[in-house]
Amino acid sequence: MFLTRSEYDRGVNTFSPEGRLFQVEYAIEAIKLGSTAIGICTPEGVVLGVEKRITSPLMITSKIEKIFEVDKHIGCAVSGLIADSRTMVERARAESQNHWFTYNEQMSVESVAQAVSNLAIQFSGDYDSKEPAMSRPFGVAIMFAGIDNNGPQLFHLDPSGTYVQYNAKAIGSGSEGAQQTLQEKYHKSMGLNEAINVILNILKQVMEDKLSPTNIEIVTVTPDKLYHMLDKDELQEVFDKLVPFPEETKASTSAAVSGTVA
Amino acid sequence: MDTIIDRGAPKARNFEPYASNGGSIVAISGKDFAIVASDTRLSEGYMIYTRKQSKLFQLSDKSVLGCTGCWCDTLSLTNIIQSQLKSYLYDHNTVMQPNSIAQLLSTLLYSRRFFPYYVYNVLAGLDNNGEGCLYSYDPVGHCEKVNYTAGGSSGVLMQPFLDSWLGNRTTDNPVTEEEALSLVKDAFTAAGERDIYTGDEVVYNIIKKDGIQTGVVQLRKD
Amino acid sequence: MYVKREDWIPGNFKNVPDTGRSTQNDIVQHGWTPITTTTSVLGVVFESGVALAADTLTSYGSMACFQNNPRILTVNQNIIVAAAGEYSDYQFIRDIVEEKVRTEKSLNDGISMKPKALHTWLSRVLYNRRTKMKPLWSTFLVAGIQNDVPFLGEIDKLGTAFVDDQIANGYGAYLALPLMRKAIDEKREKFNSKLTKDEAVDLLKKCMEVLYYRDARSHDKYQIGIVTKDSVEIQNLVLKPNWEVAKLVQGYE
Repeated sequence: MFLTRSEYDRGVNTFSPEGRLFQVEYAIEAIKLGSTAIGICTPEGVVLGVEKRITSPLMITSKIEKIFEVDKHIGCAVSGLIADSRTMVERARAESQNHWFTYNEQMSVESVAQAVSNLAIQFSGDYDSKEPAMSRPFGVAIMFAGIDNNGPQLFHLDPSGTYVQYNAKAIGSGSEGAQQTLQEKYHKSMGLNEAINVILNILKQVMEDKLSPTNIEIVTVTPDKLYHMLDKDELQEVFDKLVPFPEETKASTSAAVSGTVA
Repeated sequence: MDTIIDRGAPKARNFEPYASNGGSIVAISGKDFAIVASDTRLSEGYMIYTRKQSKLFQLSDKSVLGCTGCWCDTLSLTNIIQSQLKSYLYDHNTVMQPNSIAQLLSTLLYSRRFFPYYVYNVLAGLDNNGEGCLYSYDPVGHCEKVNYTAGGSSGVLMQPFLDSWLGNRTTDNPVTEEEALSLVKDAFTAAGERDIYTGDEVVYNIIKKDGIQTGVVQLRKD
Repeated sequence: MYVKREDWIPGNFKNVPDTGRSTQNDIVQHGWTPITTTTSVLGVVFESGVALAADTLTSYGSMACFQNNPRILTVNQNIIVAAAGEYSDYQFIRDIVEEKVRTEKSLNDGISMKPKALHTWLSRVLYNRRTKMKPLWSTFLVAGIQNDVPFLGEIDKLGTAFVDDQIANGYGAYLALPLMRKAIDEKREKFNSKLTKDEAVDLLKKCMEVLYYRDARSHDKYQIGIVTKDSVEIQNLVLKPNWEVAKLVQGYE
């Protein structure tokens, strides 16, 4: 795919004669190196689940964060360059607070995704500021999960700034296999617990390390509890209650371990 | 004898960026309606600029803003709000609800805390539950949700009148639309007698589920 | 609606149009005062158009300084504008408006400005200047035809803008406006119609005469601008005052 390198590789703002922006496409490749994250939107609420890559036994695993609270009613799971994701999460938080401050209402999930997507394309320079906010596209994929006036919502945002609403979505290194399994397992009347179970099962399939309560993070966003990250005990509980899929579908685990991408 | 003759040469005058252009607003909210009314006199000092300037601004199909005070600030503020409402519609794909407009208006007014918009605002509308809602403001953005209010040049005349009629209403004795309209008319008739900055006509908007009904009542024109 | 990080002040999330006072580093000149001034302008709507009247005197304090300074501007075949107040501020606006009209003409698309647009534009210009505490010390009357309907509006130095069928400012508001309102109301009550063009022009002539008797900054040479659906004309007129009435004034012998 990328065998023919050319000068169009370099500029983030230069189209190739075939009409492609290579740097943006490379950024989309970069997020495929990130750790797997899965989101499922059910009528009861939204679930986000991520794997934590424990690259050293000396790591304090509880300090690895891949799911962030954006506001009381919105959370987001990230995959790719985590450092980049901080900037985007911070923007999401600021926009959400700004919206609340100005309009005295919770910002909708789609509006948050829209606001962050505005940041995602600022590598080419903003319309009202001469200097671009970034010199390259962000190497991050984000899933926004939340509850607003339209009920539970799940949005996926990629480095090109495109955001799409999903019923269920997987990002990161195991996403291809995971997305396949999601397609098989997802149904409209899925409950929250079932969704958690599906996520655990898929993570189990696609993760290189053995699935355990310490190397995953799970967040639910529900109408009554809003953003809620499962603590150690709750994780242990769902882990103990894990019901394996009837017939294990082998997902391709093509995760490439990279030093810079966690 | 004073020999200094004033030849009428230009005197040093400090520029006054504000004008008081008069006008009053009355608004009453009820179970399933909100009524907001203004007079139509635009004046400065003893001079009537025009007898047919409404101070009501329809912001959506369920909210109307009443805005009096310094007319040039009224024009600017209402235009800014209206453009903000449009942006909101485009950004978030929904019409802004009255409670959000209320907060936005407060933010806009406070953003000019040290060079205020010299205007008195009353925002009337129907809330998410279809009930009448009313927000009253001071020029720098203090916002209060009320059941009835009077503002502008005759605010101090009409507020006690409304207090006496509506001040101790309970929820099981809510104000009816007919009663509210007649109170509005009476309040303005009284104000027209005593306040030279209020008069000519009253325009009112009754905001209900199925639309906004407008009407005009004649007032003293002197 | 993104606010740059360095501009963040708690509670100042919103990008509000920059209309604040000029910054402290600016030299703020207080006590701005008009020097070369003109007096009242009158405007009246009649059945098929609008007529404006203004004299041609520019005063320097109490001195009748320039006696042939016209201040009714033909903007295009659809709009006339008259100004009162500081004459140089009128000239400043006139130059900008003329430039706008030239630009518009050069596009050669047959589209020209309408009076409501110019009225709103002037209100924004004057409001922005007052907000900067650098006002243009002028009042403008905009007259024209907006979609076949006569339009008359005023904007003062603060940006106070409104529309009416008869407008006068300065001494005109006290001396002429009641006469104009009376004539228009009588015509409506008796005949249920608006003034004719001739009646409107006669009314303005009468008002200018009344003003000439009592307004010390007024002048006998004046202009009347008339805009109708198919024409704009500006008449140069001279008052023929009758000072016989002066004898009737008692108490100044």
